[in-house]
Amino acid sequence: MIDEPYRWVEAIANRREYIEGEIAGGSPTIALSCQEGVLLLTFGKDRKKIFEIYDQIALGGIGHPGDIDRLRMMAIELASTEGFARSVHDVSLRRMTTYSFSPALKQAFEQIYGAPYLARLLFAEVGAEPADDLFVTLDYDGAMTANSMSSGKGRDHFGVISGTRRSAEQIGQFLRNEPLGPLNKALGSAIRAWGIGLYSLDEDHTEAPSSDGLKDFLKTQLKDYTVESALLERKPKTRIAFTELSEDKLKGPLSEYR
Amino acid sequence: MELLEPNSASAGDFVGVLRRSGVLREQKHLNGNLPVAETQATTVLAFKFSEGVLIAGDRRATAGNVVMYDRADKVLEIDRHSVMAIAGSPATAWEMARVLEHSFQFYRRSQLQEMSVEGKVRALSKLLRDNLGMVLQGIGVVVPLFATYDHGSDDPAKVFFYDAMGAQFEATDFAASGSGGPSVRSILYYENAWGKTPLRELDQKDAITIALRALDTAAEADTATGGIDRQGKIFPILKIVNKEGINTVPIETLSSLFHATFSPS
Repeated sequence: MIDEPYRWVEAIANRREYIEGEIAGGSPTIALSCQEGVLLLTFGKDRKKIFEIYDQIALGGIGHPGDIDRLRMMAIELASTEGFARSVHDVSLRRMTTYSFSPALKQAFEQIYGAPYLARLLFAEVGAEPADDLFVTLDYDGAMTANSMSSGKGRDHFGVISGTRRSAEQIGQFLRNEPLGPLNKALGSAIRAWGIGLYSLDEDHTEAPSSDGLKDFLKTQLKDYTVESALLERKPKTRIAFTELSEDKLKGPLSEYR
Repeated sequence: MELLEPNSASAGDFVGVLRRSGVLREQKHLNGNLPVAETQATTVLAFKFSEGVLIAGDRRATAGNVVMYDRADKVLEIDRHSVMAIAGSPATAWEMARVLEHSFQFYRRSQLQEMSVEGKVRALSKLLRDNLGMVLQGIGVVVPLFATYDHGSDDPAKVFFYDAMGAQFEATDFAASGSGGPSVRSILYYENAWGKTPLRELDQKDAITIALRALDTAAEADTATGGIDRQGKIFPILKIVNKEGINTVPIETLSSLFHATFSPS
């Protein structure tokens, strides 16, 4: 059947529609530069969604847990093998996503008889300065976006994934106006950004909520969600930059909504 | 990329990943003698004191009667609470330390939980056993010490020592390894049994002083041990493992304690 080219295109289109439908409800994950490092934040209901990949690299994912886990393991294996065989300084998110992840995802997506990955990924890598932080999002079809690849123009200090493109765009619009600040400020911004993203997942919500509307929305929603957050420290005591943020650290910024 | 079987016993096994990707190869049985003297590193010690474990090593690496290097680091941090001190062949030992370090991180990252202390101790044991082929030929022998802090244990400061084949032993109070090991062991036994204060009750300052004295004494009769180089200002490396993690004792502290207790003037 798929010997005929148009059939293949149709099959791919069907597959895209199916995957988009499957991940459309995915709660957003935000990665945001701050002075202390890179903050990752999401709210979930039943499973972990933010992971440590290597010393300076973290991952957030939405989609099928089995697929996220396979991709997470692949990232850990790639980074650890490179770090062992050469040096920890040779492990690079840019190389890993461009040369390994993007082609692998594309191949899985386009091989009609095989199963695609039901996953959308957000990688973050902390740099020596906020300007060096790298955020890469990868879609199930291998499509990749980064906050800065070469030109350095219009550089964002954040990375976002969400169930729908519209939701991710709304979060982006909000975060572009949030200045780079200390961790405490970034936590507040990330919580609000998540709220905007979740709000925009609803097809009926065509505009971003007002400030008061967002507060009320978050107050209602957060009853059903558990916060998950991590920091990639810019100046860690050891080589390992990843630390999960304890409830205590999050209590202050969350108190507004609880 | 090939992925681990989800239910495989090798899940979280970094050595398995390295073997599959060809980065690490199985040891082959090779015949023949090493045409040059093998580099060796000695002496290391570890003991428990009131604030955790002190683990230390001199800085000298030798090949036969030649001093190869006088600033070797034989006390290697493996993770936030584990330190390995090596005696024997640095070529093998440093590689083992790198494998261990990556293995523990890999396990934590992939399995989303910390490897148990027992698991870590056995991981080193397994690496030593994998090295048996080399040991039988008389090269690449490593006899390490391993110090860690087990948060869940009643006696959380832990010291382990090994033989060259990978047998692991938990030390009650202290352990030493390397060519200066017997001298150090005698000193630590004496201090623990007959000294003013048992090792476990020593404060940090006294613990550091005893470690420096023990290594200096070992160097007195063993040319393979560096001890303290008064002229070159080369001091042993001392690390303290406790609840908070690992601290390297600064050279200034070693120097001031050394001069306070050893200086004839």
